[in-house]
Amino acid sequence: MNRGIRRLVVRLGGWSGAVGASIVLAIALAALLAPWIAPYDPVSLNLERKLQAPDAAHWFGTDQAGRDILSRAIWGARVSLMVGVLAVVIGLVGGVGLGLVAAYYSGGLVEQAIMRTVDAIASIPLLIWAIAVVGIIGVGPVLIGPFRFANEFKLLVLIGFLYMPGLARVTYTVAQIEAVADYVRARRVQGARDLAIMFGDVLPNCLSPLIVQGTLLVAIGIVVEASVSFVGLGVQPPTPSWGTMLADSRNYLFSGEWWLPVFPGLAISVTVVGFNLLGDALRDMLDPRRSTGRLIA
Amino acid sequence: MLRLIVGRLLFSVATLLLVGLILFLLTRLLADTPARIVLGIEASEAQIAVFNRDHGLDRPILTQYLDWLGRIVLQGDFGKSFITGLAMNAELARSMPITFELVVLAFVFALALALPLGILSAVLEGRSIDHVARVFAVAGVSIPGFWLGLMLIRFFAVEWGWFPPGGFSPLSSGLGPHLRSVSLPAFALGIYYVAILSRMTRSSLLEVLGTDYVRTARSLGLPRWRVLIYALKNALPPVVSIAAMSFGYMFGWALIVEHVFNIPGMSRALLTAIGQRDYFMVQTVVYVFTAIFIAANLIADVLNRALNPKLAGAG
Repeated sequence: MNRGIRRLVVRLGGWSGAVGASIVLAIALAALLAPWIAPYDPVSLNLERKLQAPDAAHWFGTDQAGRDILSRAIWGARVSLMVGVLAVVIGLVGGVGLGLVAAYYSGGLVEQAIMRTVDAIASIPLLIWAIAVVGIIGVGPVLIGPFRFANEFKLLVLIGFLYMPGLARVTYTVAQIEAVADYVRARRVQGARDLAIMFGDVLPNCLSPLIVQGTLLVAIGIVVEASVSFVGLGVQPPTPSWGTMLADSRNYLFSGEWWLPVFPGLAISVTVVGFNLLGDALRDMLDPRRSTGRLIA
Repeated sequence: MLRLIVGRLLFSVATLLLVGLILFLLTRLLADTPARIVLGIEASEAQIAVFNRDHGLDRPILTQYLDWLGRIVLQGDFGKSFITGLAMNAELARSMPITFELVVLAFVFALALALPLGILSAVLEGRSIDHVARVFAVAGVSIPGFWLGLMLIRFFAVEWGWFPPGGFSPLSSGLGPHLRSVSLPAFALGIYYVAILSRMTRSSLLEVLGTDYVRTARSLGLPRWRVLIYALKNALPPVVSIAAMSFGYMFGWALIVEHVFNIPGMSRALLTAIGQRDYFMVQTVVYVFTAIFIAANLIADVLNRALNPKLAGAG
C-alpha cells in the first residue's frame, strides 16, 4: 500500500478513525456542494414518477410526490450538519467561558454561582424540552430585522444552550488542574491579565477533551434534530431533511416501498457513525487517559 | 453521607422549583393566551377578561405559579386543562404507566445485555468477541432508535408477522399479546443504552484489571472468577451511576419511540396537546418528565458518591 496513505491512517488513529474522518468529510462535501452534485431538484414535484423503486435514473427511488430521494438525502445533509455543528459551537462558546472562569476563580463565590447554575441547567432534559419549547412557540420562522430564521434555528439554539452545562463541566474539570500549575503562577507574576491567562494559556491546554466531546455531541445533535423533525416540530417542509423524510415514509410502512424509510435512515446512521468513530479516534489520540467521561443523551 | 444526601435533595428541589417557573413563564409569555384559543380571534376584550377571571388567569404570574405548585404538592392535583377541561390527573394516570413500563423494560433489557457484554469484552480483550462487541457498540450509539423502530416494524411485523406493527395491548388482554406489543419498542429504546453501558463496563473493568492489587491477587493464586468478582466490585460504581442517569434520559427518547409504534403513552398526550395548543397539558407533561429526570440524576449522584469511597468524604 501507498506509504503516504498508511501514514495518514496511523495519524487518524487506525482504520476506524480514518473511516470516521472520511465519512465526515464526504457528508460535509455533500452538504456544501448539494446544488451541484444532487442529480435532481429536491423539492420539485413530479407526480407521474411518484413512488418509483430505485433504478438507473433514481438511485434511491422517488417519494410520494415524485421527488428524487438521493437528491433529498444530499440536501438533507445541510440542515443536519448545520444544526449539529452550530449547536456544538454555541455550547462550546458558553460552556468553555463558564468552565474557565469557574476553574480560575476556584474556591470562591464566583465558582459556586457558576457551577450551581450549570447544575441547574443540566437538570433540563434536552429532547422533551426541545419538543415542548418548539411546540409552545410554534414552528413558524422567526423574523429578526431583515433576517428570517427557520424553525431549525430555534432548535439549534436550544440544543446548544443545553450542551453548555456538559461542556462547562468538562472545561472546569480539566482547567481546575491547569489553573494551579506553575506556568499560570508564572504568567501572573509577569503581570498578565486574568482573561489573557484564562483564554491564552489555560484554554489551549484544555482543548483535547473539548474537541473529543464536541465531535461526539455533533452526532447527538443530528439525532435530536432528526427525532424532533420526525414528530413534525423540527425542520419544516419544503426544506428537505432526513427526519421529515422518515416521517413521510411512515404512511408506506405496510405497502412495499421499502426505499422510503431505508435511505434517509441510512443517511442519519452513516453520518452519526462517522462522527462517533472520529470522536473515539480523536479521544485515543488526544486524550488517552480519558480525563473526562463521555457525555450521553 | 446523610448530610450529602440532604444537601443534594434540597438542591434538586430548588432546581425543580426554578425550572418549573421557567416552564410556567414560557407557556404564559410565549404562547397564545388560553382565552384566545378557546374563544377564537373574534372574541371581545370583555369576553376574554371574563374567561381570565373565571380561570384565575388575571392574577400575577408568580401567584398562579405558586397556586399551581401548591396544589400539586399539597393535594396531588395537577389541575384541569383550560382548553379541553380534562383533569390532568386522569390523563397522567392513563398515559404515564404505559411510558413508565416501556422505559423500565428497556432499562432492564439494556442492563441485562450490557453488563455481560461489557464484562466479556474486557476479560477477552482483543479477542474476536471484543471486536464484535465494539462494532455492535458503534452501531448501537449511531442508529437512531426511532429509525430502528421503523425497520423493525417493516420487517418483523409487516413482512414476517412475528410482532404487531404497533399499538399497545394492555395486560388485561393477556400476558402474551401484551409482551409482544411492548418488545419491539423496548428493544428500539434500549439498544442505544446497551451500547453505552457495555462500553462503560468494559473500560471501567479494564482499568481495574490493570491495577497492582489485581495483579497481586492473581499472583497469590486466587481463582480467576474470584479475582473478577473483586475487580467488578470496584469497576461497577461508575457504570451504576451512568445507568441511573440513562434511566432519566430514556424518557425523552421513549416519546419518539412511542410515536413510531403508536403507543398511547405520554408521547401521544404531549403531541396531542401541542396540536390542540393545550399548553397547560404540555406544561404538566414536561414538568413531570423534568421531575423524573432530576430524580434520576439525584440518584445517580448519590449512588456515585456512596459507592465510590474516594468521593464519599468530599462535599
